[in-house]
Amino acid sequence: MVEERYQEGALEIIEKKRTKFFINDHEDIVVEILKRLDARSLGVAACVCRLWCSVARNDSLWEHLCFRHVSPPPSGSRPVIVALGGYRRFYMAVLSRLGRASTIVTTAAAAAPWTSDEFQLSLSLFCVDCYERLNGGVDRTNGGDNVVKPHRRRRR
Amino acid sequence: MGNSPADFSQLASDAILYNPSDLACWVDSLLTEFAEPPPTCSSDFIVDPVNNQTVVNSAWTFAEPHTPQVHQNITYDEQQSLDNQLTVVTAMEEDSGIRLVHMLMTCAECVQSGDLSLATSLIDDMQGLLTHVNTVCGIGKVAGHFIDALSRRIFQGMGGGSVNGGSAFENEILYHHFYEACPYLKFAHFTANQAILEAFDGHDCVHVVDFNLMHGLQWPALIQALALRPGGPPLLRLTGIGPPSPDGRDSLREIGLRLAELARSVNVRFAFRGVAASRLEDVKPWMLQVNPKEAVAVNSIMQLHRLLGCEQTRNSPIDTVLSWIRGLNPKIMTVVEQEANHNQPGFLDRFTEALYYYSTMFDSLEACRIQPEKALAEIYIQREIGNVVSCEGSARVERHEPLAKWRRRLSGAGFRALRLGSNAFKQASMLLTLFSAEGYSVEENEGCLSLGWHSSPLIAASAWQAVPAWDNHMSSS
Repeated sequence: MVEERYQEGALEIIEKKRTKFFINDHEDIVVEILKRLDARSLGVAACVCRLWCSVARNDSLWEHLCFRHVSPPPSGSRPVIVALGGYRRFYMAVLSRLGRASTIVTTAAAAAPWTSDEFQLSLSLFCVDCYERLNGGVDRTNGGDNVVKPHRRRRR
Repeated sequence: MGNSPADFSQLASDAILYNPSDLACWVDSLLTEFAEPPPTCSSDFIVDPVNNQTVVNSAWTFAEPHTPQVHQNITYDEQQSLDNQLTVVTAMEEDSGIRLVHMLMTCAECVQSGDLSLATSLIDDMQGLLTHVNTVCGIGKVAGHFIDALSRRIFQGMGGGSVNGGSAFENEILYHHFYEACPYLKFAHFTANQAILEAFDGHDCVHVVDFNLMHGLQWPALIQALALRPGGPPLLRLTGIGPPSPDGRDSLREIGLRLAELARSVNVRFAFRGVAASRLEDVKPWMLQVNPKEAVAVNSIMQLHRLLGCEQTRNSPIDTVLSWIRGLNPKIMTVVEQEANHNQPGFLDRFTEALYYYSTMFDSLEACRIQPEKALAEIYIQREIGNVVSCEGSARVERHEPLAKWRRRLSGAGFRALRLGSNAFKQASMLLTLFSAEGYSVEENEGCLSLGWHSSPLIAASAWQAVPAWDNHMSSS
């Protein structure tokens, strides 16, 4: 009897210690952690809970991901990418379909940085892709947002 | 690599020695023998010394129609990747492939000489032979299309019905899938856009005339590039020419609206004008409403060859159109054409050229994995084949000419070639690597770029500028 009570008491102390820190109460920490993930893990993280989903879908995280191993992108490209649907769509529509993406993600140290030419070309391809979606074509991004005109959502 | 016919005939003789019911073991032993992956399949030409005709030595195709359970022993998924596509052909099938090509040539010769009865019996024989050949890829597939085209030519008579019976809507869909399935059109669009972008440098009012708007897939990239150009985007006007749409739909206007929406989202001032014409020669320059102060670019993706009639008269459609283009004084005219010689007067020559060209193109299409894009792209190419082979006179619009001929023609019409520049070449190479397409190659040829499959150029892009009228007296035409 005494032993059990002792054990229960110990458990109580451990429980109390546990409830002191709950990651979801600290969204900024979640952001910092998710910022360091690769694209696939970010997608998996989005399935954990609603908070993580909203954080993982935050476009700035994807912007960070796109250009993590790269010199700063050409100025002025941000409003264009945002207008066309945001960095998450950019990644999913263009980068993930191309072989390049895996190089960026897996071998961070060894990956050659994007040249501005490669970036320009990817951006053009993204633009064509967005245009095709405007046409009511197949949404290849599988982002779950079946919005035909994505840029309208993003316009400020 | 032991790809010579001698090795394979030895293989074939091995096959005969083995117990046919033990096919699984034979194939397994074959696969372990081939330690390294073979090179990618390609269509080669070997000259048949007997008949002094070229024969298409096509990709070997794997065929095991008798014992389907064999497939389970082979790691078929590994074999599927194009680089490691190990294909084995039985002696009979290789034989059939070569015989098919021979018969196609003979049939074409009969058609040219007018011996239609022999041609008809050859068609029947060939269709019988097709059952022995794998029609999923390689020579079987291409041969099937050529046999269809030949039979259509024979049974409909000369000057027979147009193959392009499809509506404009259908053609647009097929074109779109051809765009997705292989890099030819992407190469065309991006190369032309790069040249146009460079030509528009420093101009605030620019006007692009597109000879074949289709779904306007070329223009989003240009709009985006103009949005990001240093100094800000110009005012962009686009005039799109396209066939009139039936039943009240104004498809040109719809495309224009979508492009306008895209342009608005990236803050590019944009204006669109649609010109509906069923033939390019019906378009008059006043319809384009070109402003003298703006920089004009004329863009023709595989349209100029449609203007070539078989008669070389003065004031033929091509001359009329080229002269009014010159009158517009464009900053640049981008011309992309198939790199093929499909406008020769002799039917047999044309047929042979087409067989080679389209076999190469079908080979390159094997790299595409996405459906239904691949299937529809094949139908698109099939229609081209049909037009080249089975149509004549005004119905035959696919009158492809090689770059050398276009150079002569355009220089004679008062145009001077502009070099496409290293940026265009870099972009084209990048496009190919980004799409991980092995086997395609970009070549530079006196300032023009061409995209081909295994060093056979299939499509060529060039840029031109009108020589000012007073210069014409001094320069040789």
